[in-house]
Amino acid sequence: MTETPDIYIRLESVSKAYRIAGQAIPIFSGLDLAIPRGDFVAVMGPSGSGKSTLLNMLAGIDRPDAGRVRIGTHQLDQMGEAARGAWRAHHMGIVFQFYNLLPMLNAAENVELPLLLKPLSARERRLRVERVLDLVGLSGRERQYPGMMSGGQQQRVGIARAIVADPGLLLCDEPTGDLDRTSADDILEMLQTLNQVLGKTILMVTHDPQAARLAKRTLHLDKGVFVEEARAPR
Amino acid sequence: MSFYSLAKRNALRKPLRAVLLIICIAIAFLIYGLTTSFLGGAQSASAASEDILGITSAGGRAQALPIQLLSRLADIPDVAAVGYVARLRGYAGVEKNRIAVSAADMPRLMQVNGKGLGLTPALLSAMDGARDRVLVGRALAEAQGWVVGQRVTITAFDVFRQAGGRDWRFEIAGIFDGETASTDTYFMIARFDYVNAVRARGRDMVDAFVVLPSPAVSPAVLAARIDARFSSSATPTQTQSEKQFLEAFLRQYADVGLIVNLVVGAAFVTLLMIVINTMIFAIRERTFEIGVLKTLGFSRGHIVALVLVETFFVVLLGGSVGLSLAWLAAQLAGAELGLVFSGAVLAKGVAIMVALSLATGALPAIAALRIPVINAFRTR
Ligand SMILES: Nc1ncnc2c1ncn2[C@@H]1O[C@H](COP(=O)(O)OP(=O)(O)OP(=O)(O)O)[C@@H](O)[C@H]1O
Ligand SMILES: [Mg+2]
Repeated sequence: MTETPDIYIRLESVSKAYRIAGQAIPIFSGLDLAIPRGDFVAVMGPSGSGKSTLLNMLAGIDRPDAGRVRIGTHQLDQMGEAARGAWRAHHMGIVFQFYNLLPMLNAAENVELPLLLKPLSARERRLRVERVLDLVGLSGRERQYPGMMSGGQQQRVGIARAIVADPGLLLCDEPTGDLDRTSADDILEMLQTLNQVLGKTILMVTHDPQAARLAKRTLHLDKGVFVEEARAPR
Repeated sequence: MSFYSLAKRNALRKPLRAVLLIICIAIAFLIYGLTTSFLGGAQSASAASEDILGITSAGGRAQALPIQLLSRLADIPDVAAVGYVARLRGYAGVEKNRIAVSAADMPRLMQVNGKGLGLTPALLSAMDGARDRVLVGRALAEAQGWVVGQRVTITAFDVFRQAGGRDWRFEIAGIFDGETASTDTYFMIARFDYVNAVRARGRDMVDAFVVLPSPAVSPAVLAARIDARFSSSATPTQTQSEKQFLEAFLRQYADVGLIVNLVVGAAFVTLLMIVINTMIFAIRERTFEIGVLKTLGFSRGHIVALVLVETFFVVLLGGSVGLSLAWLAAQLAGAELGLVFSGAVLAKGVAIMVALSLATGALPAIAALRIPVINAFRTR
């Protein structure tokens, strides 16, 4: 494989298996992937095909059994747990299907969480939180608690939290999987804006073909290999 | 919001649980504060001088020394003053109402430790006249409701009178206050010449000598010098500072300190288990959130710090309430109950809080570390 200049994410010959009752169940063997900076990729595939496992490896939460995972200049498979955690705090935002907001914190506090890991003053943190909450259309709801919000609103908080530390990469695991159509479209539009306007590289796992259509391209993961979906240029 | 307030928020998220935990901790520290203040007060050697030396038989405290050693002690260089006491232990009225009587040569006792005991020339002269006069310590007098001029009977445990019987009648000539509030004044001072003349056995024997070192010498050096002088004599000695001496004495008579430490220890061990148990539950409830924090990039150090700050918060809050109540009790009823809430009680209390926080935080912190970050993207 020749090195394209701005390949942001590169997986090379990645293998991963889970051991269940002493038996190795392979998920991938020799998986390759290259994603340029600024791309918006939808990943689809049947349940159990390893989409979440892939995201875990890209997030540095899980490690491949073999092969290489590089993001930017960081070789994730070579880094220890602590280094991967620190890297995650600074370079990546994660959007979860079930939002994963902390119930005892209000919207602004949830969004502020990743900033506690940065050397910022309380004032700077507050300004940044205000800015991203505004960006996701939640101005005025800073003090609401997750329990009092709709799914769509909670996911906006989730997105605000993912981008508040200004990471280059967003990983989304079924970000609209729990939302009705209207809310889902709102969220997808927001992701598209983040990609087009702010230049975030986005990798989104989804079961929703309509969601996939908003991405720049779609990869199908099945039986351990990626197949790019042919698509008429927009 | 700061890292600290995140931990605080965690601590208070179940208000009832937090309040119960804090009350529980407060009670344990109240028990600690009261009992150690009590030890620090009437029962304690804490105010005893490090400078004054007590000399007993090397064969044990129960063994008496002949009074003839007095002149030899006085001849030792750097001995500024020397006195002696014979102890008479007994009770007033009922057997559990224990009273300690120290029979001493008053002018000599005045020289050695008059300041520490709060003896005045007026008190000293009040002892003249009748041989059966005694000075009673303030704490003892208040506890018994005794007043000057009253005649009291002490039934000795093992000191018989020549005339038969163990009942000693004394006339209270005065009350001494001690130098500070924490001076032990729960005893009385009788005249040695009287006790010595009237007792059936042990004539001219004393339980201890007390020595005031000259300012030029360190007490420890003088103590060694004294013991060396008598080491190969018929009466080898053991010389200690008054503080060591009193502590050893208390330990032998009734180990109040040990009992109190056991009670306080039991309270704290119980508390430790309750808090650890509750905290582990609290952490387990938060498995999901801790997993999220780890996914966001919070390190193991952050997670441990969060848990520890939370336990510190709860323990410090509860401990402060408990110690404040103990302090208040010492202010309001310190004199009657013999409570002295000293800086040492406070310092030790704070040290216990820190140790308790670490001890209670450790297991929950380890539990929190075990929570896998990997759950982040698993479907639920
Ligand atoms: N920690 C684990 N231990 C054992 N097996 C696992 C573990 N994590 C995932 N698996 C298995 O690996 C396979 C891939 O799981 P993964 O969650 O990545 O699939 P997915 O594509 O995200 O599925 P879905 O669309 O249902 O979310 C599944 O068969 C799953 O049961
Ligand atoms: Mg999945």
